[in-house]
Amino acid sequence: MKMDDFIHFDNVSKYFGDNAALEKVCFKIKKNSIVGLLGPNGSGKSTLMRILSGLIISWDGDIYLEGDSIRGSNTMLKRSGFLIEDPSFYEYLTAQQNLTMFSRLTNTDPVEIKKVLKKVDLLNEKDKKVSEYSYGMKQRLGIAQAILHDPDILFFDEPNNGLDPNGISTMNQTMDNLNKEGKTIFISTHILEHVKELCTHVIVLRDGKLVLDESMEDLIKNEDRYIIKLNNTQIAIDKLKLHSAIKVVDSNDKKIIVKSTLSIHDIISIIPLESEINSISRDPNISRLFR
Amino acid sequence: MINHLIINEFLKIIFRKRTYIGFLLIIVLIPFIVWAIDDGGTALEKAIYGQLSDSFFFVGSLLNGFLASYLILAVLINHMPFLSTIVAADIFSSEYSKSTFRFYLTRPVSRGAVLLSKIVIVICYTTILLGFFFGYSLLVSILWLGTGELAVFDKGILFLAEDEIFYRFTIAFLASNFVMTTISCLCLFISTVSRNSVTPIIITISIVFIGTAISLIPIDFFDSINPYLFTGYINSFLVAFNEPIPWDHIRNLMTICILWSALFLSLSFYFFINGDIID
Repeated sequence: MKMDDFIHFDNVSKYFGDNAALEKVCFKIKKNSIVGLLGPNGSGKSTLMRILSGLIISWDGDIYLEGDSIRGSNTMLKRSGFLIEDPSFYEYLTAQQNLTMFSRLTNTDPVEIKKVLKKVDLLNEKDKKVSEYSYGMKQRLGIAQAILHDPDILFFDEPNNGLDPNGISTMNQTMDNLNKEGKTIFISTHILEHVKELCTHVIVLRDGKLVLDESMEDLIKNEDRYIIKLNNTQIAIDKLKLHSAIKVVDSNDKKIIVKSTLSIHDIISIIPLESEINSISRDPNISRLFR
Repeated sequence: MINHLIINEFLKIIFRKRTYIGFLLIIVLIPFIVWAIDDGGTALEKAIYGQLSDSFFFVGSLLNGFLASYLILAVLINHMPFLSTIVAADIFSSEYSKSTFRFYLTRPVSRGAVLLSKIVIVICYTTILLGFFFGYSLLVSILWLGTGELAVFDKGILFLAEDEIFYRFTIAFLASNFVMTTISCLCLFISTVSRNSVTPIIITISIVFIGTAISLIPIDFFDSINPYLFTGYINSFLVAFNEPIPWDHIRNLMTICILWSALFLSLSFYFFINGDIID
């Protein structure tokens, strides 16, 4: 195992009865990276998060943290902070009381509570009951509880769920800042745009299986795809197929999807005028992996 | 660490309104019953003396705070499982239903320790509630009706001297607490496998109801199993007012309650420690 393999998932599987929520999932996470775990609903993202957080006890395979198995050890929990799905606090307690309770579980100095509340801009609201908080405030408090004991790994499951654009921007900024502080961040989401903005690495799950494990840089570089909308597709396809640097991936009577390392201008110059191009755009989108 | 967990559990229940339902009901209900006993005192005395009053002339009154407390406890003790299980029913199921375990259990603490802290709180709550029930009944009754000898039925009318009555009530409380704690342990166990807080109360009360019914049905088979059921001991606190106190019966009560509690807590450990939390 290489030293930069911070977390190593080795054939991780989880079955609920006969249904495989995760099936022999293998990948590695590098230290100080921001990894996006993508996949449609039911793809196994939350199951993977729950295994990491110890909420799911029985699973197959192994997970290594810096070479040591996390099974039967709470090292992963000591070094990690979790925000699993919706932020579920004790609503009848104040934010301060909630965090005080969590600080006791990790022997964290109560002084840290004020610091993290300030970090997520909730210091002035610390004496309000959580039931009075908006969803966005609860998400921020969720971040606060996750970073309270200064973990070096953070797992966020759907952190932008239910947030407005402003809230999403704030959340992304917070995660970016945490990464700059040296924390390794693992984000599960089904919103592709968030991954593109933040992540250095992308993992895609579908039906419990790993379908993609690439760095964001490689993904964008290697997966340059273009969507060409035009009126006469067949003439264009015939021409494009003659070119070795272009691969026609998909087409219908209004659209052609090609994969190519050429620039947009080069591709346009290959397509005959009588094809009547309406538009051409790059598609570094990984949404096709969801299909 | 266990101290921290117990403090957390204590805070969780102290800030919840439902924790106080039992106390509030007792606070309101007992003065009302004491007033009713005071108001109907003459009729009550006639019922106790029965035909003796035809042959004997009685001086003074049997009615005092101790008798009122004794009657209140005898009447209300069968309803205490409703109140004593309020916290136990909720202690796991609410964490599942409100998904708060997603934060609480993703900390480096063992589930066994979390369970232990919850058991401590449930036992403390049950004991405090029952202690409050006994103590408050005595306090209100004594303040309202004064003190005196306690007249109880034990092979006829038995008069217990004033100076030993608190001792008898303490034995009654301890005996009763064993049974109530067992009922709370049963409810806690059901809470570990339930996703709402109503189900544990309903199942627990149903079991108590069926067990009590079994103890009242005069069938040989039921008579033979009744000594091994904790539900058969709900009214056993009354033996503390017998002369002499039947310590064998109290020892049996303690043994049976401890065994059932151990079973319920072992099952709670098994299900909570090995269960996946996917809510």
